[in-house]
Amino acid sequence: MSTSRRQFLQSASAALIGLSIKGDRPVVGTFVNDSFQMGHQLRDRASFPQPKQVAKRAVVIIGGGIAGLSSAWRLHKKGFTDFVLLEMNDQPGGNSRWGENEITAYPWAAHYVPVPGPKAVYVRELFEDLGVLKNGQWEERYLCFTPQERLFLYGRWQEGIEPAVGLTPGDRDQFRRLEDRIHEFRATGQFTVPMEIGLSDTTEDLDQLSFADWLRAQRMDSRILNWYMNYCCRDDYGATTNNTSAWAGIQYFASREPEEKGPLTWPEGNGWIVRRLLERVGSFVETNRMVHKISRRGKGFSVLAGDTEYQTEFIIFAAPTFLASYLVEGMAPLHDFEYSPWLTANLTLEHYPDSYGTDPTWDSVFMESPTLGYVDATHQSVRSHVERTVWTFYWALADGLPSENRQLLLNKDWNYWKEAILHDLERVHHDIRKCVSRIDIMRMGHAMARPKVGAIFSAERRNLAKAHGRILFANSDLSGFSIFEEAQYRGVNAADRVLSQVAGAHGPTH
Amino acid sequence: MLLIAACGLIYELIAGTLASYLLGDSVLQFSTIIGCYLFAMGIGSALSRYIDRGLAYRFVWIELLLGVIGGFSSALLFLAFAYTQGFQLLMYALVIVVGVLVGLEIPLLMRIIRDRYHFRDVVAHVLTFDYLGALGASLLFPILLVPYLGLVRSAMLFGIINVLVALWSTFLFAKQLASVQALRIMCVVVLCGLGIGLAQAKRITIAAEDNIYADEIIFARDTRYQHIVLTRFKDDIRLFLSSHLQFSSRDEYRYHEALVHPGLSAIPAPRRVLVLGGGDGLAVREILKYPQIESITLVDLDPEMTRLFSTHPMLTALNQKSFSSPKVHITNADAFPWVDSNADSFDFIVIDFPDPTNYSLGKLYTTAFYKAAARHLSAQGLMVVQSTSPMFARDSYWCIAETLKQAGLKTYPYHVYVPSFGEWGFVIASFRDYQIPTSLPRGLRFVSVDGLPALFQFPPDMSPLPMPSNRLNDQVLVRAYDQDWKDISH
Repeated sequence: MSTSRRQFLQSASAALIGLSIKGDRPVVGTFVNDSFQMGHQLRDRASFPQPKQVAKRAVVIIGGGIAGLSSAWRLHKKGFTDFVLLEMNDQPGGNSRWGENEITAYPWAAHYVPVPGPKAVYVRELFEDLGVLKNGQWEERYLCFTPQERLFLYGRWQEGIEPAVGLTPGDRDQFRRLEDRIHEFRATGQFTVPMEIGLSDTTEDLDQLSFADWLRAQRMDSRILNWYMNYCCRDDYGATTNNTSAWAGIQYFASREPEEKGPLTWPEGNGWIVRRLLERVGSFVETNRMVHKISRRGKGFSVLAGDTEYQTEFIIFAAPTFLASYLVEGMAPLHDFEYSPWLTANLTLEHYPDSYGTDPTWDSVFMESPTLGYVDATHQSVRSHVERTVWTFYWALADGLPSENRQLLLNKDWNYWKEAILHDLERVHHDIRKCVSRIDIMRMGHAMARPKVGAIFSAERRNLAKAHGRILFANSDLSGFSIFEEAQYRGVNAADRVLSQVAGAHGPTH
Repeated sequence: MLLIAACGLIYELIAGTLASYLLGDSVLQFSTIIGCYLFAMGIGSALSRYIDRGLAYRFVWIELLLGVIGGFSSALLFLAFAYTQGFQLLMYALVIVVGVLVGLEIPLLMRIIRDRYHFRDVVAHVLTFDYLGALGASLLFPILLVPYLGLVRSAMLFGIINVLVALWSTFLFAKQLASVQALRIMCVVVLCGLGIGLAQAKRITIAAEDNIYADEIIFARDTRYQHIVLTRFKDDIRLFLSSHLQFSSRDEYRYHEALVHPGLSAIPAPRRVLVLGGGDGLAVREILKYPQIESITLVDLDPEMTRLFSTHPMLTALNQKSFSSPKVHITNADAFPWVDSNADSFDFIVIDFPDPTNYSLGKLYTTAFYKAAARHLSAQGLMVVQSTSPMFARDSYWCIAETLKQAGLKTYPYHVYVPSFGEWGFVIASFRDYQIPTSLPRGLRFVSVDGLPALFQFPPDMSPLPMPSNRLNDQVLVRAYDQDWKDISH
């Protein structure tokens, strides 16, 4: 219906002004990287084949996202090689997966890392190893090129995402007061990256109400300010301010004070980091290895994945933690872990729309859109002239129940989502259909841990994060939210705790 | 009725928009034009009392006149701006004439149809549609007309509508008209005129815009990368890339001698030279004055540009067929990726890009780029960078010098006077110390051994300013450049 109406209006207006209609480009594409089926097999406790072979490793890492790869990086760096990393998909990377076509590499999910502060010791160590940080200087080519971000509001673009045009004195006052509050929180040193370092019980009350309620209590009711807060929560947590703990909302702003104009980014997003990690530890990674059962075996474990039984002394469980209760024999169900469903899409553009508006920009956001806008994969290219490009479109399904949004993701076909994406882009680029030739879509039912009210100080979460046995949990969801630095911290930390136990059992390592 | 009202408003909006485009200060333009227009309508209404016979006949005539004057108003104004001094005079004259005619329309129409309806209904009817038409026009204008049709064609389209109304009136009021046939022929003739105008409107716009260039255009082409325009006035050939002047043949020797010789003559035995940008072959012409040079690699983005300067007789006369030299190797590539992927080393590197007017060009003026370019310098190598004007864009000039410094290079800034540009600046940069040369190739017209040291002296109004370096993640140069030129033009 809507298509035919649009076409009618188009032809009517075209006829009115005596123009011939320039046809829209045909758009092709598919869903990609679906992992629903594997997840549902686990949930429904489907029957899996009996193992045909046995492999023995001192350590098995489960999950090849940033957490698992960071564990592997740490073990390898410390000279420990008796381990294997099992990845369910055919491509490692998890939320940092990437793709590539003849135009450019592009991200499938996480696409940047804020310039790490001094407390993110492991991230800085990694970036020194990868040549991103050299002699205290951040490599210029890995810092996001100018212009970084823009926001479409009131029919025009402004530089930066924080709304700056059209503010009333009341709006300005509230932004200023929020900034003051954030400044106070930052000064306490209790909001840090990684979060574990600063976490203090004195801030527990902030975890007992939603960010929206906290803003209300602060008499911050500006529509513009609340839009921006909501955008930030959707972007980092996949949740609205109503469904985000005030602690997490404050963490977003209070934990960072960049020392350099960033963020760090690459054409393939954080996939660049995954590629560099795989250059170092790729030989330990086995893909298409979905673990379906973990059981006790003596002091260690038996891990069943595909047709292989891995006998191991230690497990680093770096996959999303909620999966553990489906996999680990005898483990009680988990209640405090909630995840936000997401959709990302990569759009191939044959040329930029005439309505593009400004110099090519990295991240474009539309005010009052339910989506998070798009990132240009060729922005981080040193070329002066770019014709074809790839846009990565981000959409956290933040409104409504996650379970219902997961159903929506599953039930609607590619065409539905393609149209939804193009409609959203048409808010700003009326001629987008003349430019796009391909849209590939990735659906993620459990994309990001959601720091709902109470999640940060959840006893269940904190106990799993501290657990000091032979199975160590490492996913970023143990921080309550899914960001690169938390995943990397948890991964490295789990590896260190394994190494300290191995050292006891096998003598010193280097 | 609806259409009449819409047409009237459209002409007014067009005049306002055009004046804002061409003269700036939209508040002033719109206020004065709306004022004149309304006032003229008042005059029209007042004049309507003097018309007492042949109402329908005169109404048709008014519509016809409006169609012609309004329809061609935008094209006339464009041309007037490009070719005459009298733009404002013509604009207000047109606004007043259109206003008077529109002011006549409604009283006449009311009187024509008053016999058919009650007076109460006539007023209500006519005024309702009048205001409704105004609403339609004011919405149509910004949403559809300006973006899709442009001003010239919008005016003509509404001129056609006016004439169609006239034509329609000849049928509607046929009984009240004496010479219906003549009027209809008239309408058709005017209609044809406007139709042709509509079809040719693009040409009119181009003719007007071309006149923004002072001289006769001898070549114009849109390539994938830029808009190339060559103009000529007597013996002066000028090249514009995307509307920015690149050289004037009268004084380009000053620019290109100063770009090349202070650096190249200071290198003891230069053999290999790299030119980044410089698709006009004029820097290469200067470099070829050193017989010991064995090879010159020129990297320019636009193949159209290098082809033009390799083949066009007027241009090869200018660059003395420098691109035909067997020593010259032309590569059409984006400079930054080329510098990244190539491994050759050069004794002299000329960096001659367009000014940093946008962030894409700004990448070629960053620490990252200069570091990558400097990797190609041989042990004795020097590079020279075209660095905008230290006079008109002083912040920008010293920002470029600082950027070269932050890239780890020693810098030697200098400047020359090029009449068509004004004061222009360059920076020599290298890992080694630079000495001003004591000998130069023979036959130079501007650069001389005696004159060289003075080029490196900066008077107080161009002296160094503390500026941050320009980096990929913080392109301060593009903002500074934008600001510098804004300051000049205000």
